Amino acid sequence: MTVTFQLNGERCRFHEDPMTPLLDVLRREKFLTGAKAVCREGFCGACTVHVDGEPMMSCLKPVGLVSGCSVTTIEGLSSGDQALHPLQAAFEAADVVQCGMCFPGMVMSLSAFVRDNPEATRPQIKTAMAGNICRCTGYERIIDAVADYLAVQKAGSQAKEAAHV
Amino acid sequence: MSETLSGTTHEVSATVMDLPRRDARDKLRGRTRYTVDRVRPDMLHAVLLRSGVPAGRIVRLDVEAARHASGVRAIATGQDAPGLYGIGIADHPLLAIDTIRYHGEPIVAIAAETETEARAALALVELEIEPLAPVLTMGEALAKDARLVHDGWRDYEVLTEGGAREGNIAWEARTTRGDVDAAFARPDVKIVETTIRVGRQSHVPFEPRTAIGSWENGRAHIETSTQVPWTVRNVTGRVLQLPPGRVRVTVPPVGGGFGLKFDATIEPITALLARITGRTVVIENTRQEEMATCLCRENAEILIRSAVTADGEIAGREAVVLMDCGAYGGEQIFLSTMTAHTLGGNYRVGAMRLVSRAVYTNTPPNGAFRACNGVYNTFALERHTDEICQALGLDPLAFRKKNVLGDGDLGATGQVFEGNVLRPMLERMDALRAVTGTVEDKADGRLYGRATTVGTWFVFVGPSAATINMNADGSATLVTSGVEIGSGTMMQSLPQIVAGQLGLTPDQVVVREADTDSAGLDVGVGGGRTTVSIGAASIGAAEELRNKLFGFASELLQTRPEDLELVGGRVAIKGRPGSGIAVSAVVQHAQSVSGPVTGTGSFTGKPVPFMSGCAFGHMIEALEIPVFVVHEAEVAVDPDTGHVEVLAYRVVQDVGRALNRRAIMGQIQGGVVQGLGYALHEAVTIAPDGRIREDGFETYRVPLAGDVVPVVADLYEGAPSSGPLGTKGAGEVPILGVAAAIGCAVANATGKLVRELPLTPPRVLSLLKGRERAPEFPHIAASFEANTLA
Repeated sequence: MTVTFQLNGERCRFHEDPMTPLLDVLRREKFLTGAKAVCREGFCGACTVHVDGEPMMSCLKPVGLVSGCSVTTIEGLSSGDQALHPLQAAFEAADVVQCGMCFPGMVMSLSAFVRDNPEATRPQIKTAMAGNICRCTGYERIIDAVADYLAVQKAGSQAKEAAHV
Repeated sequence: MSETLSGTTHEVSATVMDLPRRDARDKLRGRTRYTVDRVRPDMLHAVLLRSGVPAGRIVRLDVEAARHASGVRAIATGQDAPGLYGIGIADHPLLAIDTIRYHGEPIVAIAAETETEARAALALVELEIEPLAPVLTMGEALAKDARLVHDGWRDYEVLTEGGAREGNIAWEARTTRGDVDAAFARPDVKIVETTIRVGRQSHVPFEPRTAIGSWENGRAHIETSTQVPWTVRNVTGRVLQLPPGRVRVTVPPVGGGFGLKFDATIEPITALLARITGRTVVIENTRQEEMATCLCRENAEILIRSAVTADGEIAGREAVVLMDCGAYGGEQIFLSTMTAHTLGGNYRVGAMRLVSRAVYTNTPPNGAFRACNGVYNTFALERHTDEICQALGLDPLAFRKKNVLGDGDLGATGQVFEGNVLRPMLERMDALRAVTGTVEDKADGRLYGRATTVGTWFVFVGPSAATINMNADGSATLVTSGVEIGSGTMMQSLPQIVAGQLGLTPDQVVVREADTDSAGLDVGVGGGRTTVSIGAASIGAAEELRNKLFGFASELLQTRPEDLELVGGRVAIKGRPGSGIAVSAVVQHAQSVSGPVTGTGSFTGKPVPFMSGCAFGHMIEALEIPVFVVHEAEVAVDPDTGHVEVLAYRVVQDVGRALNRRAIMGQIQGGVVQGLGYALHEAVTIAPDGRIREDGFETYRVPLAGDVVPVVADLYEGAPSSGPLGTKGAGEVPILGVAAAIGCAVANATGKLVRELPLTPPRVLSLLKGRERAPEFPHIAASFEANTLA
């Protein structure tokens, strides 16, 4: 059985076992090593990708189940020399990265979260991060950076609205 | 600028900044290629057959059937790598030879075209093990008639002289200063005794240990996720019985280390299999293997006893510390040294004797974990201190202010401490608390506790080398054996230091990834040493470069070298910014007249005086650069469930000089949270069959975002340090005082004696119900002398 899906905007075919975890297809077949295989059991979130825009742990996703779907990996979030996603830029500016292994997954989870929850409070951000484990940073500075990012976005959209009045 | 800090005002202002990390963008985009991301389809995959029993003799091992399995290209057993390695004592084979000493010990390595084929071949290995009764605890190991984990311990090569050893005692380090018996016999003292037991902590780096070995022009080349490229080189040489110079180690970005990657157990296997096959071979630990064979922070058992006068003078102190090294000595042999400086630290003590024993058991070997033996010894010492205060009716904070080590005070080995550091740091904690306020109201009906604790750690100085090549565009390339493990030293402090010395911007400093073929000896990234040791070597290299550049510029500018300075990318005339000539022009001139401009520097620790006859079996007798911390925690304990919530956390940390405050704050937040995991819920336990039970994320509970609080920190600058520009290591020590602060706060909240970690809800509930008994150690003798081999 061949599985066909969109991968970072291009058609992708996979001809082997459809039960193969999407993570292994990405890393071993497509050499997209941004998604990290850390626990492979759905606890750590380091392999998070977007499937039709929703964050999913690719270690738990048999590739057969993404047939016909659109998969975006960290490499597809800002490819080539495109600008960073503004949340990535916020993380870079706030110096929150340490070893970095959890960040591709962290960015994929939180980029969807801030898109869907522009009004999120600090406790809501914390709750949203429950599925992304980080062993280095102790989280708080990441949470600060997300909260600051949302505040800036909100101020920006208010300014835009004001300009339209 | 304070006179007590080293470095000129100009050097300091050119170096101190909140430089962001140059590797952050690629890491955020998933483009950084850690070792684990470098697996190519043309590589062979190696897997290990590991022991399923904790102790036994290999009766039969036949790999012929496996050798003929599909895809198999090479098989190695212990016979292929007969050399033993270790720290202090060479007791560790690469693959088990005849004897099995722990559950998970590698016995056979198989390289095949795919991992699936390699695993299938594992099943074809014919292995017969005659099981032996395992020695699983230190109590069992120290029993009179205990079976020896290493029958042949007497025959091992001794790599470092001085430690007493016998049977299951792999190493013993002992200190004695003053007449302890006399102190305990004084009529005016009260004797307080505390027993402490702690379990293991697993590092859980997100990148597991992974190595890629190839055989190139008659030499091994190992690309690996390590903190210690030179150790990997030397261990590989030892076990393969090659001159270490025939091993090259290169290190991509490392996805977390925390001390675990001081290990060198899998790298030599890849080299061995690469030599046999002529192919590149990768070994990547599965998460289960990674955790089941993790070189954890060791479990330990501590008895500490002090003789204290009514007004709180510590007349005498003695302690026995048992450290479980697991099946092989490893880091614990070195770490037995640290008891003198951690449990023997913090306070002024009249007379003191300490013994620290690394004990063999049939359990997975332990290793180094951030602030190693310091974390539990600080927990023990600070709990003991609070128990002293309770026994004597003294205020714990006032007791600490009165008794902390100050200028001219003696450490356990007779080292004389310099400067008053801990006391002013305690005062700074008072000031910090006054600013933040306390949050008892957040306890909301639960039991509230607060505690302030102190800690002593150090910078692991030791050899480092640096070369700086000046480039024709005015940039500089820094070549060292330093590794970026996530702490930021290679990305922030080193380019800041080199730029500050050469009048460049940090982005003009290229930092070379570690390659043992291109950079000189280095003892590794850990022990808070990188900024200090590689930083000092880099300053040495920059100094040589500066003199060379001034020499050339002096001719070009017709100015005396002593009137020149490097600033803003120019060799300028002192006091006249913008004057002189661009560095790039000087370098180009030099290249044409005498060749490229290069500077080299090297560094190692200097011997620090201690009292002769005080320290036996110590690899470090005195601390060249002590580092102090003050930690304060506020907790709420739920009396119904035993759950501990951390309400607030404050740190005052001795940093010497902060080169990048923002980066240090990141290390403090991360280190404290790792400590909270250790204090509250990270538990590694050993099953009756000797295996580590918690071998995945489901069973080993690391802190999640919802568990943590923002750590408020004050960086204490100006304490004496021989580090470059007055720096000290800042990344290792944040974890040091956490278990102590949390343990003391929980004791204060509950009114119960906290003597074991982690403080999981069941343990705390059991404390509250009065069911938790103080640990008893029948294998620790009542008399101190009976606990030593002396």
